[in-house]
Amino acid sequence: MSRSAKPPTAPPRPDQAFISVRGLTLRFPVYGYDAKSLKKHLARVAVGGRLDQARHGSTTVTAITGLDLELRAGDRLGLIGHNGSGKTTLLRALSGAYEPDEGQIEVRGKIAPLLDLSLGIDPTATGLENIRLRGRIAGLSARQVEDKLEEIAAFTGLGPFLAMPMKTYSAGMQARLAFAVATAVEADVLLMDEWIAVGDADFQKIAHQRLLGLVERAGILVLASHDLDLIRLYCNRVMRMDAGVGSEVVSIKALDELLARPSVR
Amino acid sequence: MDIAEHMLRTGSRGFRDDLGRAVDDLRRSVRGLGLSWSLAWHDVVSRYRGSILGPFWITLSMAVMVLGIGFLYAELQNIPLATTLPFVALGIVFWGLISQTVIEGCESFVQASGMLSQTSLPMLTFVWRTVLRNLATLLHHLVIVVAVIAGFDLWRVMDLPLALAGLALVLANISWMCLLTAIISARFRDIPQIVMSIMQFSMFMTPVFWQPGERVGLMDAVLTWNPFFHMLDAIRAPLMGAAPEASTFSVLIVMALAGWAVAFGLFTATRRRIVHYL
Repeated sequence: MSRSAKPPTAPPRPDQAFISVRGLTLRFPVYGYDAKSLKKHLARVAVGGRLDQARHGSTTVTAITGLDLELRAGDRLGLIGHNGSGKTTLLRALSGAYEPDEGQIEVRGKIAPLLDLSLGIDPTATGLENIRLRGRIAGLSARQVEDKLEEIAAFTGLGPFLAMPMKTYSAGMQARLAFAVATAVEADVLLMDEWIAVGDADFQKIAHQRLLGLVERAGILVLASHDLDLIRLYCNRVMRMDAGVGSEVVSIKALDELLARPSVR
Repeated sequence: MDIAEHMLRTGSRGFRDDLGRAVDDLRRSVRGLGLSWSLAWHDVVSRYRGSILGPFWITLSMAVMVLGIGFLYAELQNIPLATTLPFVALGIVFWGLISQTVIEGCESFVQASGMLSQTSLPMLTFVWRTVLRNLATLLHHLVIVVAVIAGFDLWRVMDLPLALAGLALVLANISWMCLLTAIISARFRDIPQIVMSIMQFSMFMTPVFWQPGERVGLMDAVLTWNPFFHMLDAIRAPLMGAAPEASTFSVLIVMALAGWAVAFGLFTATRRRIVHYL
């Protein structure tokens, strides 16, 4: 497979979550756009992956190139890098949505992608219906959803509004509900694109507690963020991405040294 | 406690490996049919939210169409109403199932782009969602079916098990059509328009309202080579106490097998790319 793959330090125990990514390369075909005319302007840009002209008018964006990553239970990985450096793409690949073009991704454990809170939310449906639907999408059985319904409903603090359609909610109320459902599912691997902070000051406090609890119970957290303080706070390891190329994973203590490195571009 | 969930994704290792993964997608989607049903039922409920009759509005408009067309064609083709009305009613109801499923199939993946691009839900879940949604709509229209069966004493002559077998075969066929249109229209956004035109054209080429007369020349060709005629006839003829054509069931079985082979082959070849089409 990948020549750059390193043997894992210790074989993972069968009862613990792990992530193993070897030589991962991800290319996106972009259909219906011609990058040829744009390419000379984009020759040296600070953002984005690499653009390649492919056959018949479609353009290929190489979002991730030859990335290796080994994580064990207890690892809290912070992903840093410019816009378009491939952080979100990596998270989506880890969630199982994107298939590798080369290399392999292996994840053991239940994955909870908290990438987009509004996923599967239907604004015309009531709060309760959305809790049920979102819970089902997150992999709960109808029975499990009913079991958790009360706890989720209580956590939102929306009371009688749960019987109203979501479109009548304020943005903050919608975020509360989405957050409550999305975080109701216990998982071994949590994927987050930016730390989730929703609602008013009071809610932010309890939301923060809930999220922390979830992270603590999960084996592995992968958090992509531009906020270095956040990364220092929640992560114990860190990886920097540059134009789809990942650095090695270093301890959070070496964050400054990692940042001081020249970019690969 | 061992952790059961395990995901292994690799770059393409050739067609056989991709086929295995496509089959795995199928297996997971069938195991998660409950989710497809939840989504489908949610679609039905949310489409008609705030309306009193809900999906029965379509039933009602179908009933009006059945009466209008039934009387008109009975007059035009000089056939007794007792034959025309059940023929037209069953035709319109089951044609609705076939054509709506194929047309809505185009949206199966496009509509689910959010879920497909950030979860590992099986892709076929969204094909089943479209099929089940149309089945749920059909359940409402059964009011019309039951009404004509009771009103025209068809229950004395009908062959219900055969009609159900016909329905099962029709479902097997519209599912692959749904998968095919879902994939192609995710890649080429002109396809939904084309599919819609094809289905509209097919409605006129298929004896949905008009009774096929003698099978000679062009008429024979139109019926023999029209897959939708066989699909419709496999359900309608047994319900009306007539035997479907001898070839109909074999045509449907062969078409289901061939269609699934083509659609699943395409799914195997494009599965990795579909999420990028969206």
